[in-house]
Amino acid sequence: MIRRFGTLLGLIAIIATFSVLRPDTFMTVPNWLNITQQVSILAVVAFASTIVMVTGAFDLSVGTMASLAGMIAAAAMQADLGIPLALALALTAAAVGGAFNGFLVAYLRIVPFVATLGTLTMFGGFALLVSDGSTIYGRAIPAAFGGFGRGGIPLGTIDGRAVLLPNLTLVAAGVLIVTWLLLEHTGYGRRLYAIGGNRVAARLAGVRTRLALLGAFVASGVGAGIGGLMLASRLASANPTQGDGLMLNAIAAVFLGVTLSQEGEPRVLGTLVGVTILGVLANGLTQLQIDTYVQQVLTGVIVVGAVAVGSLRRREA
Amino acid sequence: MPKFLVRTLAVFILATSFAFAQNGRVAVMTPYLASATTRIMVDEVETALQDLGYTVDVIDTAGDLAALDARIQDVILQDVDAIVLSANPELVPAAVEAAGAAGIPMFGLDAGSLQGLTVDVTSNNYAMAAQTATYLVDAIEGEGRVLMLVHPPYAPVQKRGAIARAIFDNTPDIEVMDEVFIEVPGPLENARNAVEAVLTANPEPGSIAGIWAAWDEPALGALQAIESLGRGDEGIVIVGLDAIGPAREAIVGDGAFRATVAQDFVGIARTVAGVVDEALQGDDVARRTIYVPAALLTRDDLR
Amino acid sequence: MPLRHHPETSLPPAARLHVRRASKRYGEERALDEAHLEVAAGEIHALVGENGAGKSTLIRLLAGVETPDMFDAALDGDVLDPSSPADAHAMGLRFVHQELNVVPALSVAENLFLGRPYPRHALGLIAWRRLHREARGVLERLGVTHIEPSTPMYELRPGDAMLVALARAFVTSDAHATPPRVYVFDEPTASLSRRETELLFRVIRELKMQNVSVLYVSHRMDEILELTDRITVLRDGSTVATVDTATTTRDALIHAMTGRTWQAFREPEPGEEGTANVTLHVQGLRNAHLEDVSLDLMAGEITVLTGLAGSGRSELLRALMGADPLEAGRVTLAGRTLIDAPRQRIDPHAAWRAGVAYVPEERRSEALWMSGDVRSNVLLPHLQRVTRFGMARRSLERREAAQWTERVDLRSRGLHQVVRELSGGNQQKVVFARALAASPRVLLLDEPTRGVDVGAKNEMYDLIRDAAARGTAILAVTSDLEEVFTLADRVLVLARGRLVLDARAATLDRAAILSASFDEGAVAA
Repeated sequence: MIRRFGTLLGLIAIIATFSVLRPDTFMTVPNWLNITQQVSILAVVAFASTIVMVTGAFDLSVGTMASLAGMIAAAAMQADLGIPLALALALTAAAVGGAFNGFLVAYLRIVPFVATLGTLTMFGGFALLVSDGSTIYGRAIPAAFGGFGRGGIPLGTIDGRAVLLPNLTLVAAGVLIVTWLLLEHTGYGRRLYAIGGNRVAARLAGVRTRLALLGAFVASGVGAGIGGLMLASRLASANPTQGDGLMLNAIAAVFLGVTLSQEGEPRVLGTLVGVTILGVLANGLTQLQIDTYVQQVLTGVIVVGAVAVGSLRRREA
Repeated sequence: MPKFLVRTLAVFILATSFAFAQNGRVAVMTPYLASATTRIMVDEVETALQDLGYTVDVIDTAGDLAALDARIQDVILQDVDAIVLSANPELVPAAVEAAGAAGIPMFGLDAGSLQGLTVDVTSNNYAMAAQTATYLVDAIEGEGRVLMLVHPPYAPVQKRGAIARAIFDNTPDIEVMDEVFIEVPGPLENARNAVEAVLTANPEPGSIAGIWAAWDEPALGALQAIESLGRGDEGIVIVGLDAIGPAREAIVGDGAFRATVAQDFVGIARTVAGVVDEALQGDDVARRTIYVPAALLTRDDLR
Repeated sequence: MPLRHHPETSLPPAARLHVRRASKRYGEERALDEAHLEVAAGEIHALVGENGAGKSTLIRLLAGVETPDMFDAALDGDVLDPSSPADAHAMGLRFVHQELNVVPALSVAENLFLGRPYPRHALGLIAWRRLHREARGVLERLGVTHIEPSTPMYELRPGDAMLVALARAFVTSDAHATPPRVYVFDEPTASLSRRETELLFRVIRELKMQNVSVLYVSHRMDEILELTDRITVLRDGSTVATVDTATTTRDALIHAMTGRTWQAFREPEPGEEGTANVTLHVQGLRNAHLEDVSLDLMAGEITVLTGLAGSGRSELLRALMGADPLEAGRVTLAGRTLIDAPRQRIDPHAAWRAGVAYVPEERRSEALWMSGDVRSNVLLPHLQRVTRFGMARRSLERREAAQWTERVDLRSRGLHQVVRELSGGNQQKVVFARALAASPRVLLLDEPTRGVDVGAKNEMYDLIRDAAARGTAILAVTSDLEEVFTLADRVLVLARGRLVLDARAATLDRAAILSASFDEGAVAA
């Protein structure tokens, strides 16, 4: 029991520690809204990665896909194509990229690690191509697009400052609900878990495993695309590498979440806990003025520690 | 794990609390600490502010703008007294806006834009380009055909090109052959290929008098092109900008590369520290861009 | 012609390997029950028996791979009690298994010396040239000169790979080790051509000349009669006979293997013949494992398919499910064309949708998602039935899963129990529930009762008969002859991918089935 929920207890311990050490600034409504907004982009990418990892595969290309989607949208807006068309182009590209990953893994049977490592580089290259290596920002990005990532729903005022429920938090919540419904409440989700549990058995039991895998990779690509658009909106700019770092954190978040599940399968609510741990750590450690490089080391130690405890538990089981 | 965490945190908190000084806290934020010039500036700002009695947090997000945005939000919520930003504020508009809403002044450390900042301290790209362009005009005695190597998508470099063009156009006996767009990444390689092509198309000695590069890497590429085609003795004059190490070495040698401009990074950093101190001591600081003069470096200067 | 059993008189005085009593149980199942075996020095001795008679178990005990319940044996008069493979090796026993256990990426020479010290230079580096020379020497002893020691293993044809695996048993580790005294060959010729088989026989005869003993396990009667000196027959874990090869016949051996008492023949049920209509019509199936297989499955009839391991019995079911590719063949289900290879193929998804349900051979690796719960495992092929617009409807899922798990009388803590925690029999019931939930027109069963206890076995039989009574056409693969007669209305026998027997069960006896299984006349290599 303690081991199963060790990661959750760890999160509570982390929150308690920060609350005690920074009572005035950490455990406040504005800070928590701030944290939800800070993790929203990572959360969306991690939720989408969960869909692929449920099948036992990986998608390493989500980071560069996020960069590419943001870049395509920004380039389209710079070319005055308008926001709706820009978003549609970016998400279409993300879906096509995801489908390409799915095709490589499901139909050509390339190991997911290798296939998506290749497309990681490809998508990164496309992002550089689209942008010519430069950053698109300033007047090229319509105010409405940049404003969305900054805005939110007013909740009132605290200490004279307006408090907003950030739009990006709402988007992440929406993606969370959709992913949760997909994985936990649809026949398709059940099939994905079956593939992750035993791909051979799933196929012999009539699951169209290749089609299902293809779909999972499309979902992952689109999720990464949404994350990239959120990032571009938040920064009101796009540069060809700005989403690249999301991939490792997304996978770390899923693994943290896996430690919470009974049978070691990824669950999207577990991923939410993983994302929260990473976000709270980054926020709290900054508040404690801990050197950014030491922060990285600590975050790594905590991820490895949680996963190690989880695997000990499973070995005993 | 929680026990381990608490202990580790305790150590860091003790360590950081000792340094807590009375004048206030300043956060220095950048995604570019891995870049040598950013490092020089950030280190200098940190030392200067500490000497003035401030607590300084340096936060680097290793190229990640989303993380920079998030960390700026964090320090805003902690009510730091001022933020020094070593990145274009237009790349993190939401965070800059939030700082403004929270009444925390932000200062640009070679930021390149004043949007949302109180003061930006930087080098003047127009002035630096004027320095190299003028040097080139003088070196070829105001006469001949000049090739420009440019990269307009990057705003600071675009400014340089515009001013150089104006100076050449304003010199009656100088003809600008072309403004060649140099692709990034790989500017050195790309410039070498481009210049080789131009040289091949213009085989006459003296048909090209000078090459003006918007920054040092294309200038080095141009130098390689001239030398590999054996046209180093025609008296073609190359100028670059930024004074990176390889450029300084090339200028010291006997080749066509003749001058560059060195930004005064230490000066920029010290100026920022001074402005931050003024503002936090209650002086009225006018919103403006402060340009720190840069020095033209020629072969004579470097030798 | 029953065989007489004369252990005392048929023993030569110098017994090399003497297993007096060997017993081993796996759970309820008695794999070996006081089996005994005597192999003389310089003798080639065959060990035969049906599938499950205990041959493999006896070999595993000799090899030190399994811990016996009882093992009283001697080697040249010394106590033989191997507790590990290394132990058995040190005592002078050598094993050549059916599975090759080779590393494809390494060279022939490296595979030969795998797990033994490689020859080394003074500095401790591997002396490659010496390694290759020694490897070549070992191969030449076998009369093999066409395999280059530096060739990577994966480049070899199966027969050559088998020869290398054989040769490995002839590698002497060092001068101080016990020289080999007994070689045990377990179905060594399964993948060998006739020429390679002869090469192997020459080696075995040479071993005999050197006064080394050979225990030879095979299903191939002609090989046994040609090669061996004496034969020990195992049945149901016990030794039933040891005979001189010269004085026995193929039929006598098959009699001994199958037992003296014949299973009572089932009376054909009234009206069974003629009224049955064809549900599944199969015409000319061919792929890597099947040679022109044609058959009909009738509604309400239980057809049992048997044959030796590797005869293509599992592969036929897989081909019908669309799990393996087909080169040619037509399958129609109730008049509708399901497969018309190579133009029209299906996948397992399409097979299930068409009303073909399948219980695979390997429960753990092919049937169940062990970390999934009972409900998900039962409903996996039927999810579209319990969802609306793709969204799962929990109450409907519960109802469906409950209905079918009750039908198979599953003992579990509930529909949410993880399948891994169930007993083997209950796991198999989950697989059955899944298949029955399809209300299939055709039910394909591959070893439906393997690894389940006797009680569960009978429940499975009832379920199968019940499904047949509801009009399902059933094709069940089994390697257990007992089960053939328990279940079958009709019996099919495959040998090397060909259908060699198709007859009413009532017209057959065990000997007829075995004889057909061992029939190799049609497929001389």
